[in-house]
Amino acid sequence: MMATQDLAASADPARVLAVLSDGLGAGGGIARYGTDLLRALQASERVASTRVVARHGADGVRGRRLSQRVAAGGRAGFALALGAERGRRYDAVVCGHLNLLPAALAVSRDAPVWLLTYGIEAWRPRRRWAARALERVALVTAISRDTRRRLLQWSAIAPERVRVLPPTVSPDLTPGPADSRLAAALGLGRRRVLLTVGRLDPAERYKGHDRVIGALPALVAAGHDCAYLVVGEGGDRARLEAVARAAGVAERVVFAGHVDDGRLADHYRLADVFVMPSTGEGFGIVFLEAVACGCRVVGLDAAGARDALRDGALGALVAGDDLVPTLAAVLTAPPDPETARRRRDAMLAAFGPAVFAAEVDAMLDRLRGEAAPSPTRPEPAHRGVGIRRPEPMS
Amino acid sequence: MCGLAGIFAYHPAAPPPAPLEVARIRDAMARRGPHGQGLHVADDGRLQLGHRRLAIVDPSPAGDQPMTDPGGTVVIAHVGEIYNRRRLAAELEAAGTRLRGSSDTEVLLHLYLAHGEGMLERLRGMFAFAIWDGRSQRLLLARDPYGIKPLYYADDGWTLRFATQARALVDTGAVSAARDPAGQAGFLLLGSVPEPFTLYRDVRALPAGSAMWVDRHGPRPPRTWSRLADAVAEAEALAASAPPPAEEARARMREALLDSVRHHLESDRPVGVFLSAGVDSGALLGLATEVAGHSLDAFTVRFPELAGAPEDETAGAARTAARYGARHHVVEIGASQAGRALDQALAAMDQPTIDGLNTWLVADAARDHGLHVALSGTGGDELLGGYPAFRSVPARRRWLALAALIPGLGVTARELLRRLPLQRLGVSPKAAGLAELGGDWAGGWLLARGLFMPWELPALLGREAAREGLDRLRPLTLVRSVLGAGPDGGPRTDFGRVAVLESSLYLRHQLLRDADWAGMDRGVEVRVPLVDPVLLRAVVPLLARAPLGSGKRWLAAAARPALEPALAAAPKTGFTVPMAAWLAGVARDRLGAWRSMPELARPGCHWARRLAWAIHAEGLAAPPGVALGRAG
Repeated sequence: MMATQDLAASADPARVLAVLSDGLGAGGGIARYGTDLLRALQASERVASTRVVARHGADGVRGRRLSQRVAAGGRAGFALALGAERGRRYDAVVCGHLNLLPAALAVSRDAPVWLLTYGIEAWRPRRRWAARALERVALVTAISRDTRRRLLQWSAIAPERVRVLPPTVSPDLTPGPADSRLAAALGLGRRRVLLTVGRLDPAERYKGHDRVIGALPALVAAGHDCAYLVVGEGGDRARLEAVARAAGVAERVVFAGHVDDGRLADHYRLADVFVMPSTGEGFGIVFLEAVACGCRVVGLDAAGARDALRDGALGALVAGDDLVPTLAAVLTAPPDPETARRRRDAMLAAFGPAVFAAEVDAMLDRLRGEAAPSPTRPEPAHRGVGIRRPEPMS
Repeated sequence: MCGLAGIFAYHPAAPPPAPLEVARIRDAMARRGPHGQGLHVADDGRLQLGHRRLAIVDPSPAGDQPMTDPGGTVVIAHVGEIYNRRRLAAELEAAGTRLRGSSDTEVLLHLYLAHGEGMLERLRGMFAFAIWDGRSQRLLLARDPYGIKPLYYADDGWTLRFATQARALVDTGAVSAARDPAGQAGFLLLGSVPEPFTLYRDVRALPAGSAMWVDRHGPRPPRTWSRLADAVAEAEALAASAPPPAEEARARMREALLDSVRHHLESDRPVGVFLSAGVDSGALLGLATEVAGHSLDAFTVRFPELAGAPEDETAGAARTAARYGARHHVVEIGASQAGRALDQALAAMDQPTIDGLNTWLVADAARDHGLHVALSGTGGDELLGGYPAFRSVPARRRWLALAALIPGLGVTARELLRRLPLQRLGVSPKAAGLAELGGDWAGGWLLARGLFMPWELPALLGREAAREGLDRLRPLTLVRSVLGAGPDGGPRTDFGRVAVLESSLYLRHQLLRDADWAGMDRGVEVRVPLVDPVLLRAVVPLLARAPLGSGKRWLAAAARPALEPALAAAPKTGFTVPMAAWLAGVARDRLGAWRSMPELARPGCHWARRLAWAIHAEGLAAPPGVALGRAG
């Protein structure tokens, strides 16, 4: 057995500092991932206590072995809140965003730092300070293989330090009968339902609502009496409503707005197919939720969706041109509860809470068992390469 | 020698690999194992191991791989040879282990069962292996201290794929063939791709002397279990302040050499010798003949282009062969043979390299005579101080240490000197970096061994690709890292430092890697008795403080009879291929890209710079459809 593993196994439970953008009580996919991580830390026998310092969320949350401070006052307030932690000794620091990494490193002292990465923030080359800071991190987890691959393209961090930690899904999300009153309230009638759950953010148009709206006329023309249920709110809604009107399908596109977690399963259960033809998902946790609720799922064969749908084992991964025929085929096929159940079981075996908790424990072992890397400096022999104009060899 | 391949879908979310995927990776290396093939698939399908076998020791089915332990839970696929297998087998049997056959693979398997990862310290040989431990659901990958046998892996975060050759991983399409700018930059700087980088962004080399565990949560960072710098430093510490008397040193060296040769002759198939006119292969032939007790087959390559030149090996090699009673086979490589050899060798190349053709040609000759095992004198210059760098690097460092202390002087001098037509003046373009790099061990070595210098890369690769490549590669940090951690670690003598630099970089990344792919393409296992940690530990105390040149003289004298004095005293030679002439002649069409680069086309340019650029630009050593051409 390697020495590092011995060290990890013998370590006392760790005092963990979590430096997060979105803490407990914040909204959105990153917050949900962070919440699942904090709950896993709280439940882990490897963790003595978790102190959360976050920019967003509910201030003053306290639980068994966990406390959270949400800093008011913007960046300055956050820096002050973190500064207050410098006097305390932590065994490990979890950093929730690449932008917070310098702060996390500053407050970590000698404790190893674990950085969480999600999607586009880690996909493109960052400024040199970020690349250098990344090399001082003991462990990076990427939410998907795609995010890991893209991060390694611009960073010199050792690949073995970059692991994949997919999100998990609540066991409360289960299949069930469609709520006919909800369907009626949403005006879906007896139409077949296509569903997307996701923020309507102008910066996140890659999620592909436009593509689904664009597919509706062809589906209707092919004899599918279907509606498109859009769950989620955001600044792009008005534009999408206009797109639906322009495509002549406005009465088939239903914007349900924001839906609380407690009512989410009911909306998934209305769907004949969950579709999110996104080109830019870090992972796409809503795919897991859809499978958990027994939906048939269609995504694009791109980015993190490949992970969420396990390379096609949990749902269809299609090229953009194949979206209409794939949706048509799914709508034509009768529902198959047995296949849905098997897919749900397979999904939980891959991404269930128990798997997530075991992965978090393994990451903690790794974090504490391995020394933080020593930073290396730029080399004089190529300093300036890329800034100076290249000269021909002649 | 063989080839191994494997897939471990370690993450719970990873779909099991397709049933035949590992067989495809394995069979992309079919030439490495003409004598057999095997496959092991774990019950849950998440672990697959494949193996192609070149049977040298225990050719019976008892040596087939992957091999499973009697309990059916531990499986091994192994490449290489364990030279102390007899002693290890005896120890195992004395402890109650029953061995089914006499293969070294079975010994490895039982050593793992007995000692776990601690087995590595007991091994003497060249090896790369994968052991799947079904009890703990963990995989162990390991490589020998010098890195004689390669092992590459690609980890996508859910699934690990690994193989003896990098190209086997990308040829099957499961791993991206996208280029790594660090690998490209490393190749142009050094003539071979320095590990852990490879030509491919998603493929890494397991570093020499390292072991890596992979469990359900993925690979751990590789752990270095044997570092040449440490071995040399320990051996230096054993040396007395004054070197032993020459007579005693000669005797101790002869014993150590005989011991290494004896181990390297362990084979159930005949063993030949690659013979040049140089000291290393000549003395090796003498020592091997003495140990074997009978005549050996020796192989030399002759090129018409070198006839009458000092680089023509044939006359000297013939005299050495006659001296030791060898059956000498001289193969003439004319223009048509050269063209065929170039085509085949370039097609077989695993990663880009400017060397290896000589090994390919002489291995081809050995195979034509039915041999599957041959000794090579590779490593003698690194072990015994045979390269000019043993003088030049320490000397420059002394002269230029002061310059290195003046901030900005080196960079300023470089930029001024680059504007001079150095090459037209008969000076290497590398000389521009003398003040900048020469005062430092790593920089001095880079100056001595480099083909191109870092500041030349933007013109070759494009500005962005060069910046990205150098930023990831960090060539000086990489070179410095092999000397050991910190000022108190690593070797302390000039000899020790240069020996470590040459052995850990040039020998490992160029000569040994080339001996592997080139030999295996011809189905010949190349053994290197002068690349042996036991020999290293015996020799360094003798040479660390001895006058340079002593090692080669003592090697020449170690054979009985001693190597012919005229050959022992001749300037260094060794398996020279007339590449300069070929680039202008027979290789003109295949490797002509350098002609479009004015700096390279100019008279006086070293052939190695032309060849490196041609291999890079022509997209050689890459799977079909992947162009390596100029980026950015």
